Amino acid sequence: MNSKRITIQQAAEIIQDGSSLTFSGFTIWRRPMAIVFELIRQHRRHLHLIEVNGGPHTEFLVGAGCVDIWESCWVGHELYGKYGANLSRRVGRKEIIVEDYSHAEMMFRMAAAASGAPYGVTQTSLGTDIHNPEYDMLGKAGLRDGKRIAKHKYKFVEDPFFGAGSQVLVPAPKIDIAILCVQQVGEEGTVRVNGQYYSDPEAARAADITIVMAEEIVPEEYLRRNADQNTIATFEVNHILECPFGAHPTGMFGRYDVDGAFLKDFYGKTRTQEGFDAFADEWIFGHDHMSYLEKLGWSRMLGLKANTALNYSVRPKKGA
Amino acid sequence: MNTHDYAKPEEYGLADLLCCAASREVQDNEIVFAGTGLPMVAIMLAQKTHAPNLKLIFEAGTLDGRPPEIPTSVGDARCEMGASRSSGLYDAFSIAQRGYVDLGFLGGAEVDEYGNVNTTVIGDYLAPELRLTGSGGNPDINSFAKRTVFIMVHEKRRFTKNVSYITSPGWRVKKWPGGEFVHRRELYGTAYRGGPSAIISTAGVFRFDEETGKIYLDTCHPGMTPEEIQELCNFPLDISRVNGLTAPPTREELHLIHDVLDPDEIFIPKTKR
Repeated sequence: MNSKRITIQQAAEIIQDGSSLTFSGFTIWRRPMAIVFELIRQHRRHLHLIEVNGGPHTEFLVGAGCVDIWESCWVGHELYGKYGANLSRRVGRKEIIVEDYSHAEMMFRMAAAASGAPYGVTQTSLGTDIHNPEYDMLGKAGLRDGKRIAKHKYKFVEDPFFGAGSQVLVPAPKIDIAILCVQQVGEEGTVRVNGQYYSDPEAARAADITIVMAEEIVPEEYLRRNADQNTIATFEVNHILECPFGAHPTGMFGRYDVDGAFLKDFYGKTRTQEGFDAFADEWIFGHDHMSYLEKLGWSRMLGLKANTALNYSVRPKKGA
Repeated sequence: MNTHDYAKPEEYGLADLLCCAASREVQDNEIVFAGTGLPMVAIMLAQKTHAPNLKLIFEAGTLDGRPPEIPTSVGDARCEMGASRSSGLYDAFSIAQRGYVDLGFLGGAEVDEYGNVNTTVIGDYLAPELRLTGSGGNPDINSFAKRTVFIMVHEKRRFTKNVSYITSPGWRVKKWPGGEFVHRRELYGTAYRGGPSAIISTAGVFRFDEETGKIYLDTCHPGMTPEEIQELCNFPLDISRVNGLTAPPTREELHLIHDVLDPDEIFIPKTKR
């Protein structure tokens, strides 16, 4: 069997300029930050992010100028930052195309892609400006080629089966690469997510290539003893890598908490482009993952470490 | 509730009043879907007082959780404590669309007189003054729950005739492609279950007439008059049905909020007691 193991640098190299990407996690939890930082170091450009929801990783990629298109429903840092300041700045300057869907629409779109269907069907958000035809931003930009980007943002149909009224068809996204950040992966690619799995199983299956960055690579045999506890099967995963604390500053259920102080600092300092550039110079450029952790320091990381009985840390004052 | 145990005005803050008013919207045994922040504190307060059997669902994927302390967001590890099941967003949103949810608790930046809420942009959508967080699950919960309660800061610019962008559907919504306003019942067909039932603002408690879809003032927070609250709305407010003052928190509720649920003052600042 060929090894699926790669390095962080190789993972970032698989992602090309112009690739469409999605990620594991939920807002400020289990985001593949170590690979995101490497993409910024490698100056990746014209990325198309298609996310069930965004978070700090989105804000880093957008702030660094890596992203041309963002299709999602939410971006921010939860209680550590009111909104996505970098996205807001670039939307205002028309430097990025944002296509808004609702959270459930994004989830049902991802599930459609994961099941090989061309679209999902839902009744959510009827009557809102999400369905305002004037606000089809990819259409306005002339990008709806019916190949990589759907011909329409959505379609209304009347239920032909039960007369249940107006339904919304939402297109399955075409995703080149899913990057996941999880607790454990086996040598052959079996993924075990502890805690809520958010939209990770659908994201992995929807993408053409799935890269899994794990806190630890463990023997397959160990994971296969309790297959009912596993989340994603081997053949859905193309590449694996081990990277402890790879989600920092986002949190990892059972391993470490969200670094609220770091996110607050990021949000506060990156409300201007100059602020972002200075932050990136301090924390990203000139570093690799190990020197980033060394800069953070032992006391900070041990403070975030989760209690193994509770699955969260009881040390930091919540709210940072 | 022991009405004789109401706290005195100097013993509580506005956030306490909002939290308790929101908590009282919950009935026991209901399935409740809540967003991060004050809504979360409100339902956990209900769970610890008059609604011990409420079922708590967070959209990141925990079903019927019993967190001992307040999670910092719906994706937090604390959400999973005591949960019946830990899953993902596909389950949470399927449960909502399937019609299980009795009550949703949400926030918003702007609201109009029909309960349409904006959390997406301020200003022109195509040239926004400020891009906010975006919809999140706000429209989804508001589309499918039998009732939704909004907790909002009350400013005249936020209680507006027309919101900048309808993120979340109220009682009268836009029928696309034309965009004419119709009663939401007309669009939702068999998925119609109800709509916004209350807005708890920093000024008072508002409710909606299900047929006309229009907002009216139910109770004023202590210290406010109906006329003052009308002045804080950019649309004509029905003040003919005002039903007195919003009930203050009890001392037991204040104890639960500050000593049990949110001792670190993440969401609710302490008032000196």
